[in-house]
Amino acid sequence: MSGDNKINIVLAGQGNSGKSTVFNYLTGLHQHIGNWAGKTIEKAEGTLFYRDHTIDVLDLPGIYSLTTVSEEELISRSYIIKQNPDWIINVVDSTNLERSLIFTLQLLELERPVIIALNMTDLAKRKGIAVDVKKLQNILKVPVIPTIASRGSGLTKLVDKVIDLKTDKSARIIHKYGKEIEQGIEELSEQLKGIDLPYPLRWIAIKLLEKDKDIRAQVSELKPQVIESSLRIMEELEEIHGHDSPLVIADERSLLASRITRETVRIAKDRKLSLNERLEALTTHKVTGYLIMILILGGMFLAVFSFGNWFSEWLDSIFLGWHDLWQDRVGTSFWPALGWSAIESVLALVQIAFPYILPFYILLYLLEDWGYIARISFLMDKFMHKMGIHGKACVSFIIGLGCNVPGCLSCRIMESKRERFITAVLVTLVPCSAVSVIVFGLVGKYVGLLWALGLYIFAAVLIFIVGKIASKLMIGEPVELIMSMPDYKTPNIKTIFSQTWDSLKEFIYIAAPIVIVSGVLIQAINLAGWMPAIASVMSPVTVNWLGLPAVTGILLIFGILRKELILVMLAAYLGTTNFNEVLTSQQMITLAIVSMFYVPCVATISVLWKEYGWRKALVITLAETAFAIVLAGLVKRVLDIFMV
Amino acid sequence: MLTQMHHRHGVKDRKDGINLTNLDDGQSGIIVSVMGGEMLTKRLADLGITTGKEVKVIRKTLFSGPVQIEVAGSKLVIGWGLASKIMVKSNER
Repeated sequence: MSGDNKINIVLAGQGNSGKSTVFNYLTGLHQHIGNWAGKTIEKAEGTLFYRDHTIDVLDLPGIYSLTTVSEEELISRSYIIKQNPDWIINVVDSTNLERSLIFTLQLLELERPVIIALNMTDLAKRKGIAVDVKKLQNILKVPVIPTIASRGSGLTKLVDKVIDLKTDKSARIIHKYGKEIEQGIEELSEQLKGIDLPYPLRWIAIKLLEKDKDIRAQVSELKPQVIESSLRIMEELEEIHGHDSPLVIADERSLLASRITRETVRIAKDRKLSLNERLEALTTHKVTGYLIMILILGGMFLAVFSFGNWFSEWLDSIFLGWHDLWQDRVGTSFWPALGWSAIESVLALVQIAFPYILPFYILLYLLEDWGYIARISFLMDKFMHKMGIHGKACVSFIIGLGCNVPGCLSCRIMESKRERFITAVLVTLVPCSAVSVIVFGLVGKYVGLLWALGLYIFAAVLIFIVGKIASKLMIGEPVELIMSMPDYKTPNIKTIFSQTWDSLKEFIYIAAPIVIVSGVLIQAINLAGWMPAIASVMSPVTVNWLGLPAVTGILLIFGILRKELILVMLAAYLGTTNFNEVLTSQQMITLAIVSMFYVPCVATISVLWKEYGWRKALVITLAETAFAIVLAGLVKRVLDIFMV
Repeated sequence: MLTQMHHRHGVKDRKDGINLTNLDDGQSGIIVSVMGGEMLTKRLADLGITTGKEVKVIRKTLFSGPVQIEVAGSKLVIGWGLASKIMVKSNER
C-alpha cells in the first residue's frame, strides 16, 4: 500500500487565475501572490498530507501559453513532460474562461492527465456569468471542479478527485483542427514514429507547424527529413489560408475556445452599469482618472509619513536608554563600541522597516489587490513610453518611493532585459522614505514646505531626463504594454498581509547583512580616528565645490549605509537639531540634493549587484555619485544668485 | 500612407480593415489581421487576439496613450502602437 499513497501534482494556469492561492491553501507554504502576469518565476513546491496520502504539489510559473517560448514556458512544458506528474491541475479563471481555455487546449495537447479547477466562481456569479460545468466537462473530457480558492471552497473536492481517480490513463480524444491542418499533423506524426523524444507525436507535429524553435531543433537532430516535410506542409497551409501557419493554428485554437465558451457560458443580459464599471470609468478617465490618482497616491504618502514619524519617534524613546545601558554593562573601549555599532545598525533597520516600509507595503498591496495598480500603469503608460519603458514600470517607481531595494527587485516584472535595467537605474534615483526624511526634516522644516515639494518635482524632471537619455543609449526596441486589466474586487486581508510579510522579509534578508557589516566597518574607521582625515581629503568637493561644512564628508560616508543617517549624524556632529542655526538655506538644499542622488545606499547597491552583476552596480554607483556632486554644485551656484 | 490618414472610416487596408485605434470608445469590430512579428502575433494570439475574433474598444486615452479593449471575454490594455497593428472590420453601420 505504501508505494500507492504518493501522488504528484502540478498546478498550471495563467497569471491571475488564483493558482498561487490554491497552492498556498493546499500546502500551507507561504509564497508571493501577485497581480502581475508571470510573476511566479521561482519554483514553488510543497507537500500535502491528506487521507493517508502524501501529495507533492508543484506550482508552475503563471504563463499565458505553451507556445511563445519564454523561459517560464519552456520550464513548464518540459517539467510536465519529463516529471510526468500524476495530475496536472489547470487552474482556470472562470471570469476569463475564453482566454483561459486557449491555454487549457494547449495543455490538453500534451496528452497528460488534467483536472480543471474552475476558480473564482464567486466573482463570476457576481458578474452574472454562469458556467455549465457538466457541459464543459463533456466537451473537454476532463473532470471540472468549481472552486473559490480565496475561501478554500471546492479544494477538498479537488483533492478527493485526485486521490479517487489516482490517475487518468484513458486515451482522450483531443480537439481537432481544420481539415488541412489535421492532414499535415497526421502526415508528420506518421513520419515521426520511432523518434526518441518524450513528447507525444501529435504534439511534436503541431509544434513543428507552429515553428517552435525548441522542438524544431530537437527534431532536426534526430529526423531531419521530417523538418523538410514540415516546411512543405507549412507552405501549403500558408497558401490556402493566406497567413503564417503558426497563426493559422493559433486562430483555430482561439476560435475553438470561443466556441466552447459560447456553448458553456451564459451571461445575464440585464446587467446594469454596475458600481464597478462606474468606478472603472472614473478612475481611468482622462481628467478624473489623474485627479484620483494624485489624491490616492498623495494620501498614501501622507498617511505613511505621518504614521512613520510618530512610530519612529516612539521607537526612539524606547531605544533611548539602550546605548547607556550597553556602555555601563559592556564598556566603552574599542570592541564594545564596535559591538554597539552592530546593534545600532539593527535598531536603525527596525526603525525604517516597521514605521515606514511596513505600512507602505500594506497600503501598496491593498491598492494592488483592489486592482488599482493596473489603472496607474494604464494612466502612466504614455508618459513612461517617453522614457523608453512602459506603464508597468510605474509600479516600481511607486515602490521605490517607499524603499529602493524592493523597488529595484520589482523591476523583474518588466519583460525585456533592457527595460528591466533602465527601470532599475531610474528607481535608484527615486527619493525613498529615508531620503524623504532628510528632505522634509531639513528643507521642509527650515527652508519651507514648498521648497521640499519643489525638490520632488526637480527629482521627477531629472528622472525623466535621465530616462530619456538612457532609452537613447540602450540599444533595442521598446516593448509595448500588454497587460490584463483586472476588475476591481474587495481586497483580501490575508493576501495583503502575506504579500507584505514576504516583501518585508525579502527586504530584511537583503538589507540586514550589508547594513550591519558596513555599519561596523564605518564605525571601525571612525574609532580609528581616520574620519577627520577623510573629511579633509573630501573638502575640495564638500567645502570648495558644494559650499558645505567639512564635516559633511563624514556624513556622506555614513549616508551610504542609510541615507537618513546623514540627518542623524549631522545633529550629532553639530550638536544641535536646529539646523538653521548652523546651515544656510542654500546649504540645506545643496545637502538635500546630494543626499537624494548620490550613491544608492548599500542595500540598493547589493540588489543591483545581485540582479545585474557587480560591473553594472559599480558603474551606476560611481556615475550617480559624480552626477549628484556636479548637479548639487551647479544648483548651489544658481541658488547663490537668487537667494540672499 | 496608411498611418497618416486618421478618418475613421476612410482608412483602407488589405481585407478592408481599419486599425483598432480608428474605432471610437465603445465601438467594436471583427479582427481581420494582426500585423507584426512572429513573437508579437503569438503573444497576442495567447490573449485571444486572433483573426475572426470580436474586439471592443472600451476607451482610448489622450495623446495616443494606451487603449483599453475587451476581447475573448477579458479586458486588456495595449499600447497605442500595438493597437494600430490590429486591423478590424468595424461592426458599425
